[in-house]
Amino acid sequence: MSAGWTFDRERIRVFRFLSARYDAESGIARLAYAFDDGPELVETLGFPDAPPVRDAARVAAALDLVHWIAGVSYYKAAIPRRIEFASRQPEPQALALLDQVYSDGLAEFAWRNGLDLRGHLSFAESDQPRSAGAAAATTVDSAQGDPALSPALPRRSLVAIGGGKDSLVSIELLRSHGEDMRLFWIGQSPLIAAVAARTGLPVLNISRRLAPELFEFNRLGAWNGHIPVTAINSAIGVLAAVLYGYDAVVFSNEHSASAATLETGGRSVNHQWSKGFAFEQAFAAVVQAAVSPQLDYFSLLRPFSELAVTARFADMTAYHQHFSSCNRNFRILGERPAGRWCGECPKCQFVFLALAPFLPKPALVRIFGRNLLDEPAQAAGFDALVEWQAHKPFECVGEADESRAAFAALAGRAEWREDALVKRWATHIAPQLPASAALATLLAPRPGHAVPERYQALINAMPDGRAPGLE
Amino acid sequence: MIVQPHPLAADAPWVVLKFGGSSVARVDRWRNITALARQRREEGARVLIVVSALAGVTDALAAIARADDPAQRRAGAEAIAQRHIDFAGQLGVDAALLAPWLAQLAELAASGGQAHEQGHCAWQAQLLALGELMSSTLGNAALRQAGLVSRWLDAREFLQAEAAPVEAGNGWSRWLSAEAARDSEGDPAMRRQLLARQADIFISQGFIARDGDGCTVLLGRGGSDTSAACFGARLQAQRVEIWSDVAGLFSANPRQVPGARLLQRLDFEEAQEIAFTGARMLHPRCLGPLRRAGVPLSIRDTERPDLAGTLITPEQPDAPPSIKAISARTGITLVSMETAGMWQQVGFLADVFAVFKRHGLSVDLIGTAQTNVTVSLDPSENLLDSDVLAALCQDLANHCRVRAITPCTAISLVGRGMRGQLHRLRDVLAELGRLRVHLISQSSNDLNLTFVLDQADAEGLLPRLHAALIAAQAMPAEDDAVFGPSWGQLYAGAAAPASAPPPWWRDCAPALLAQAGQGTPTYVYHLPTVRVQAQALRALNAVQRWHYAVKANPHPAILRALAAEGLDFECVSPGEVQAVQSAVPGLAPERILFTPSMAAPAEYAHALTQGLRVTFDSLPSLSALAPEHAGQAIALRLDIGPGRGRHAHIRTGEGSKFGLALADLPAFMATASARQVRVETLHAHLGSGIADAGHWREVGVQLASLAEGLPHVRQLNLGGGLAVPYLPGEPALDLAAVGEHLTQLRQAYPDLELWLEPGRFLVAEAGVLLTRVNQVKHKGTQILIGCDAGMHTLLRPALYEAWHGIVNLDRLDAPPVWRADVVGPICESADVLGEGRRLPETVAGDVLLVAMAGAYGAVMASAYNLRQPARELVLDEGGFR
Repeated sequence: MSAGWTFDRERIRVFRFLSARYDAESGIARLAYAFDDGPELVETLGFPDAPPVRDAARVAAALDLVHWIAGVSYYKAAIPRRIEFASRQPEPQALALLDQVYSDGLAEFAWRNGLDLRGHLSFAESDQPRSAGAAAATTVDSAQGDPALSPALPRRSLVAIGGGKDSLVSIELLRSHGEDMRLFWIGQSPLIAAVAARTGLPVLNISRRLAPELFEFNRLGAWNGHIPVTAINSAIGVLAAVLYGYDAVVFSNEHSASAATLETGGRSVNHQWSKGFAFEQAFAAVVQAAVSPQLDYFSLLRPFSELAVTARFADMTAYHQHFSSCNRNFRILGERPAGRWCGECPKCQFVFLALAPFLPKPALVRIFGRNLLDEPAQAAGFDALVEWQAHKPFECVGEADESRAAFAALAGRAEWREDALVKRWATHIAPQLPASAALATLLAPRPGHAVPERYQALINAMPDGRAPGLE
Repeated sequence: MIVQPHPLAADAPWVVLKFGGSSVARVDRWRNITALARQRREEGARVLIVVSALAGVTDALAAIARADDPAQRRAGAEAIAQRHIDFAGQLGVDAALLAPWLAQLAELAASGGQAHEQGHCAWQAQLLALGELMSSTLGNAALRQAGLVSRWLDAREFLQAEAAPVEAGNGWSRWLSAEAARDSEGDPAMRRQLLARQADIFISQGFIARDGDGCTVLLGRGGSDTSAACFGARLQAQRVEIWSDVAGLFSANPRQVPGARLLQRLDFEEAQEIAFTGARMLHPRCLGPLRRAGVPLSIRDTERPDLAGTLITPEQPDAPPSIKAISARTGITLVSMETAGMWQQVGFLADVFAVFKRHGLSVDLIGTAQTNVTVSLDPSENLLDSDVLAALCQDLANHCRVRAITPCTAISLVGRGMRGQLHRLRDVLAELGRLRVHLISQSSNDLNLTFVLDQADAEGLLPRLHAALIAAQAMPAEDDAVFGPSWGQLYAGAAAPASAPPPWWRDCAPALLAQAGQGTPTYVYHLPTVRVQAQALRALNAVQRWHYAVKANPHPAILRALAAEGLDFECVSPGEVQAVQSAVPGLAPERILFTPSMAAPAEYAHALTQGLRVTFDSLPSLSALAPEHAGQAIALRLDIGPGRGRHAHIRTGEGSKFGLALADLPAFMATASARQVRVETLHAHLGSGIADAGHWREVGVQLASLAEGLPHVRQLNLGGGLAVPYLPGEPALDLAAVGEHLTQLRQAYPDLELWLEPGRFLVAEAGVLLTRVNQVKHKGTQILIGCDAGMHTLLRPALYEAWHGIVNLDRLDAPPVWRADVVGPICESADVLGEGRRLPETVAGDVLLVAMAGAYGAVMASAYNLRQPARELVLDEGGFR
């Protein structure tokens, strides 16, 4: 690091990948980055029980992927036009993936900050001599070998758990299928820990610590905003699968995650880009080519709508008083529903609305501790969900069709139709919209998924329109 | 060896002692049980002990009943058998005594319920009964081993259940939730039969009875209490004693209200009402037999036999009306039925209630209007697990417009003579009036007044209402015959000593009297007490900065003392800033937090220029900031409402003027960014007098989760409001618990500093007001003590109806024979310092001391009526200054 260097986002020219190392002794991975000749920014990942390296080439390839993708958290602080690799240079396929992660994945960030990143950045090999530290760029990079010839990964799944309904639906589907699995999540989250404990399955909590300099950069005016966090978590999941020995990394992103939140000036901005199918396919292909052809990365819920997943979750009553999809990340949980649900964000609003057709009203309001559909002050939030005089919120919520269908179902039910926002829907909004799709039609599986053949039975096990109160 | 005490007369009274599962599952508790039985016998009573199954055994038996797999049932039965054999070993009694029950257990588990000739429920009743049969068998052996002449009694011999109703469908109510028959009550034959068995101590089972055919049935939830009550009624006992983990019934659920007071005396109707409205301690069913038989019921704590507990007796004819308890039941659903067609229409109610009956739903509260009927449904498994509410509403829609309002909370005030208390409920009604109240119901027996409101609104409400009831004397907490110690005092452990240390002024009475001789009214501030409070706060390591809220008391000596203790300052006006700066010259400007309310833009700008930390709470104040402040850090006060997830309508309604609405946060941040100032501190302050130790953690969690989207935030200012106990019996804030909560917060968010800004907590107790009695006036039965301090000296009683302790400093140890109103010399009817106070006989010239007057006392004084302000004196180690 050079003395006297200070962060000035306007003057920064290059973002550099310095090195990535995994230390099997401590189970700690260190990912190093820098802006220009500024200080080394070191992110650390902690893998519990320090798994040994069984196949150095595979670990190195997965570690590189994590290094490259996780860099987006730092890159976005200054968004320089040039990105250099002092570490190993990605293959063209991986480079194409990175190009998407650093542009499409930052589309919302850019839009909110009034920036346009299309055609903005270029990747290059470093033109600076490698420093002594960077010589050992990736710890295990000396190991050579054809990944295809490496020992087989065991037939079992590493499943991402998020504390919300989606991953729980996946987990219970897999359990019913007799799958050998372990649940993983990244970082400290008492909610996820509590929900994971309720499943009774083995868990893997990977720790992640951002470079502390990033907080200082923030103070000095760094750009800030949404990053494609699912891409980062996916890469860490793949590294974990290689380290601990799993041949599948399972996520739980639905069909609707692929839909753009906003189309503007020829750009489509999708808040959930890294939860979408395009990322899933591109990432899975890079994993198979660069890490291991045996390693499947996919989203089990891809064929399903939010509503279909919610309908399934409605039956999983054992989790109802424990889960939360609220995006206010409460790092400490309260006993009461308000300790898990803020009750006012788009996620709370959508999950409430989507569950309503499938649960007895007293059971639903018990989850949230209140009835969001009888709170006139929340009208604007629900309007955005049905895209009425508003665009869909920048949140992981279902498509407008699904919200509309749920409202339409409730408007036909005596215990709901007098509630302020249901009534508002029926009298003011529905007459101005085309007829809503029937709830049942939205529960059917959709085409376009990459779920491996061996899980087909699970897709058939999902609900298909047997919601109560639907004829 | 067995020692025979002197024999009892044939008409010696009976006492029934009932012990629950946690009491009978521990060896040391059996020593207590034995000692109690021996003590009652020595007092001249015959004793019947009724026991539950060992803790957890009924649940384990129920799990066997649910298991379809014979292997699983067998494993469960073996575990239960082993537990009892082990426990016999611990008690040192012969496990072979259990043999007949263990054989039955194995047999029932092996056969399963499906094959049982009388059905699954009958089998389950037999299975579950084994818990009590085994615990009482072991208990009898333990009693005998301790030298008591005791006999085992099969409850089924004497307790018979009501004949099952004909329509009882699956047998659940017949076998598993039977009612004890009334003819089990008041039966001299049972006394005679037991007399013939030549023992003075018997032990029997709770929960189980026989039906008309002699088969085993269970008495349902709370069944053991019911058994004890039935035995007590049948034996015409002198008393039934229920021994459990808690000393008795409390004036509120102690988990929600740590200041809830032990209710030492209740009548049956009041107790029944308290049990109905939520006290889990006691099943309402068990009171009926005792009330009819006139047998008193006493609730006691097995661990603390020294505590008198709750004694429930027939109504005392001369008992004054009063509120005894407040409760909250959540998960209530209201069904509102509206139609113009019901006006003067014959049979409308019959029609709609028939729908409720058809769906098997029992209605609790009812409110009616000309065109609307609203009823409440208690939460039941049925409502939660099935679509019964949807079906009900669908059917009701044929008769009227229907609306299902849920989730609601029912808040009940319980006590005798509710209608005579209305004038005292002003503050309670004011508190409820700000919330969404859907239904008010006053019970026709005048024992309760219930408010049904949105469940989210009711969170955290109970402690405030409980305090308001005490302050308004609607709940006469100083009547120590009825209101015992608070739960906090009894059970909060070492953190809250059972008896608070005497206040500092007790030892200084002569010196204070001498000072009063120099002139009154006079405020006296005791600096050592200020320091003790400051040190107690500073000991909480989770908090990085403590700011003294100067508005509580800006006396320079106090400011200096607190600066010396390392506290920073929170000021709300330039005047306060100046007061701090002149009292503590050279104080670094960043140790002053400037948090004005609705002040002129120049005040903010000036404070920033001085280098103070400045809190903003509105967009206009920030927008008005000049470019020269670019680069500076500010704090933002947010209105996060009264709790996590509370309703928007409370937040934005007729709420307070303080704080930025959450909805305006994005606009505020955009303006901050445009003005190039960094929001480094998030602040929220939710009110004062907060005794809930978890409160500041909750505020912090709220702010921290908001801070995740705000990259510059470094500190969370969690406000103040740390309660001090003004009222007698009010538990002190558990500071250690506050510290634990904040440590958790700090661990979850290590990058964020925690700041607090207490005022009252530091100075209230340190200050007293000395005032001289001008005259004493008798008006009918009313006694008025007029003194030279009034609302111009101490405004809190007049402004907030605040309660301050008042003592006669000249007669500290005289008996309090008067109930008098202490008033001031101001021409205002609100000029009252204390209403209905217990004081000794007082004469003109006596000096009264008004306690806890160090906060918001002299600083809120006025010159109203052009009367002189009080003097202010400081008392330190070296004497008065």
